[in-house]
Amino acid sequence: MASEQTREGELAALDSAGSETQRKTHVNLGQRLYAWRAGLAMLAGLFILGLIPTIYDQIFGFSSGFQLHNLSMIGILIIAALAQNILTGYAAQPSLGNAAFFGVSAYLLTWLTTDLNQPYWVGILLAVLASALLGVIVGGPALRVSGTYLAIATLGLVTIAGALLNLWDTTAGRQDYQLNNLPAFLGDDHALYYFVFIIVVILIFLVYHLLHARVGRAWIAIRDNETAAEAFGINLASYKLQAFVVSAVLTGLAGALYATWAQTASSSMSSLDQTIAFLAMIVVGGLGSITGSVLGAIFVGFIPILLGQLPSPLAVGSFQIQVSILNTGIYGLLLLLALIFFPTGLSSLIGRGGNLLRRVGKRGGTQ
Amino acid sequence: MNESQKTPLLEIRGLTVRFGGLLAINELDLHIAEGEIFALVGPNGAGKTTVLNCINALIKPAAGSIQFAGQELLKQPAYKRAALGIGRTFQQLQLFTSMSVLDNLLTAQHAHLRSGLLMGLLPFGPGKREDARARERARETLALLGLAQYADRPAGSLPFGAQKLIGVARALVLRPRLVLLDEPAAGVPPQEVDELAASLRNWRAELGTTLLLIEHNMHIVQAVADRVCVLDYGSKLAEGEPKAVLSNPAVLEAYLGREASKQVAQAAIEVSQGVSHAES
Amino acid sequence: MLWTEANAMLAFLQVVIAGLVTGSLYGLLALGIVLIYRTTGVLNFAYGAIGALCAGFLYILITGPQLNFWLALLVTLLFALVVGIVLERGFARPVLHAPVFTKAIATLALALVLETLAQAIWPQLASPQHFFTPFEGKALNLHGLYISAIDIVILVVTALLMLGLNLFLTRTRQGIAMRAMADNIPASRLMGAPVGRIFMVVWALGALVATISAVLLASRQELISVQFMDPVLLLAFVGAVLGGLDSLPGALLGGILIGLADNILGYVLAGHTLGPLNISDPGIRETLIFGGFVLVLLLRPQGLWGRALLRRV
Repeated sequence: MASEQTREGELAALDSAGSETQRKTHVNLGQRLYAWRAGLAMLAGLFILGLIPTIYDQIFGFSSGFQLHNLSMIGILIIAALAQNILTGYAAQPSLGNAAFFGVSAYLLTWLTTDLNQPYWVGILLAVLASALLGVIVGGPALRVSGTYLAIATLGLVTIAGALLNLWDTTAGRQDYQLNNLPAFLGDDHALYYFVFIIVVILIFLVYHLLHARVGRAWIAIRDNETAAEAFGINLASYKLQAFVVSAVLTGLAGALYATWAQTASSSMSSLDQTIAFLAMIVVGGLGSITGSVLGAIFVGFIPILLGQLPSPLAVGSFQIQVSILNTGIYGLLLLLALIFFPTGLSSLIGRGGNLLRRVGKRGGTQ
Repeated sequence: MNESQKTPLLEIRGLTVRFGGLLAINELDLHIAEGEIFALVGPNGAGKTTVLNCINALIKPAAGSIQFAGQELLKQPAYKRAALGIGRTFQQLQLFTSMSVLDNLLTAQHAHLRSGLLMGLLPFGPGKREDARARERARETLALLGLAQYADRPAGSLPFGAQKLIGVARALVLRPRLVLLDEPAAGVPPQEVDELAASLRNWRAELGTTLLLIEHNMHIVQAVADRVCVLDYGSKLAEGEPKAVLSNPAVLEAYLGREASKQVAQAAIEVSQGVSHAES
Repeated sequence: MLWTEANAMLAFLQVVIAGLVTGSLYGLLALGIVLIYRTTGVLNFAYGAIGALCAGFLYILITGPQLNFWLALLVTLLFALVVGIVLERGFARPVLHAPVFTKAIATLALALVLETLAQAIWPQLASPQHFFTPFEGKALNLHGLYISAIDIVILVVTALLMLGLNLFLTRTRQGIAMRAMADNIPASRLMGAPVGRIFMVVWALGALVATISAVLLASRQELISVQFMDPVLLLAFVGAVLGGLDSLPGALLGGILIGLADNILGYVLAGHTLGPLNISDPGIRETLIFGGFVLVLLLRPQGLWGRALLRRV
């Protein structure tokens, strides 16, 4: 039809006209720094990450508790936090079931490598694929349920998974499921650290681009306004399901890595406590923010380590406090304080820092 | 504009909507030609927004058909209708408040873009290319509406007037053939209404868009609408050119009630007879 | 022949009664959960810990200064009200404007703090202690059907509380204001409802119900420890959601259903095995209960007695 042709022509004309809205701006050092801040930050971060093993050994020797081994665990937590944030912070699905994927994937990897004697890499691949499948199985029916109902229902799934995994252990007559058949290099703390963090960096890179692409925008649109999202062509069911699958895959990967790190799989990986850890990470760090996921993982991962360093019993005046009892309480208190003072998450701090750079840049350019 | 268009762009036939036992829309027939500015008016609760919601698939009608450019809309699920060339603004704005204005317009183009999960992961490639083109289109639309300075601000942080315009920009960015405007003049101060009327006529002229608007503000309806349809309790009360329809006594009665419309009619007669009436 | 059939029937009835009693305990907790949820929008995961703290207080009053049980109970109930008010001021206020998810995690953090507090003040409660009540060892025998005194007390108290709450919510000004708030906080504020005071009443009332549930549970188990409410809390939540989160009777019924399911399944599966699997394992029971719960939600996403959600444009 004639009108359609003119419309096509219009759009084409707009595309090729280039951006008339761009004007020449004064570029000064401040503004250049601001524009390159992302790149600089990344490079700096990678550099530091690469150096950490050496720094660690210099500072802490091999003091127990501050081992490099624990940093690797934090890397794994970062992956799990990203996963939970994608599902709950971006796509706004209050699903608390990720711990089930975490535990099941760990058991699957252990089963494949220890009992079925498959090579480690095959085990990881299959565990991740299985997580994707589980994501579809859980995500499909989850579309029917929403809000608090979805939250408690997925908690139910975590309990079921935990109970079944525990039953498997009991029937097989074991306490936890030992992971054997690891590639030799993964037993070394340094190698494990690099292994985990290379994966973390790659994942952050990929997730960042995903969240800024069409799919990510669809998720945010669903979170902000489902009605408008639909009116503008977003297939709600499809995108919610995609969020479930992506989240399940990432959590499954985290679970397999955790089993690798601990060299065991235990049914407590699919438990209420684990779910609380996942949620605490994204809530403290910041919903809907990659930085938030990282910060939250560091918070949740480090505090127990730091608390473990306190001398026990602690002498305060004439009182002797058994600090070990207080550990969970202090953790809870810190968590509570973090939430009261940063209800939108620690990532809001970073926002303020970014604004500072912006102001410095602007000041230079307005002269 | 295509005046020679024989098939109407939007054809609603026998539309019936029920909410529980309440008959919200009763066998409504509407034809809107391409390039028209068509206003749907009526007292509160007459069912105007419900009609828009049916076109958008937010509500499922009990009976009837809605044909858009020859295609039966009611067979399409909600998310497919945007791709057909229908844009919409909402009474409650319904912006994506946590996104920047630019991202709002990018998201609005969702139906015309194609990158999925795999393409989205990559920092280069067809996904990023089509996003760049979409970003250009978004900036052009913002410039067209004078909103360019807001491009990177979070949509939720802007003043109401700006947010309304962003809602319009969002509806227009895909250059749709039909735009559904839900009370565009609501919350607009009286001195800016004329500006709004001019803008609406402008868009129709420059972009060739057909506009279907719901309005309470008769001033703007008279100023821009080619044709008006009055709804009352879900049925068509009158249809035609604005001047004729809006002075129709049945229409006045529907809006004001029998006594009040008698008074208005009386006042109109007295004014035309040169007698001034002092009302408290 | 008749004897064993009568025996089987008796045994089953026994199980049903036990289920009703357990269910009432879950239901009471669910009541409090839904009460707080509907009026303040907060899913209070610290609910069990609040009850445990106050029940611990009762235990200390009985074992320390050796107070009479009923006097100690009265003091404890007052203590519960105070705890509720303190929590409303010290905890609920600061997190009032946080997003819903954050508030939920905050209650979890609160639970950790409360549990640690209880353990720090009363270190003897770190491991299960015998909970002394005047109901111990007393039971009613109806033709072979045993109903212990505490079971009767639980059923009676639950019924009374349900009636009392219902009256409170429908007949008193506070209660009606609370129900108005459940639907729309800004609107009720505009109508002059003292929102702050109502929040306080809600939390105090909630703490009271939690304490009563905790005391009843401890009396029935004859055991108390700092974390003794934890396993019950999740099931109470399931009961509340099953009932639909919309009404108090729904919550109670949801809890009762869970209790019945728990006990009947336990009875039916006891001692059986499926090949190498020991299906009387509590894990299987948990799986079946939660599995059933998920299935019901899939069929009725708003819960059994909940209102379907509407979307407004």
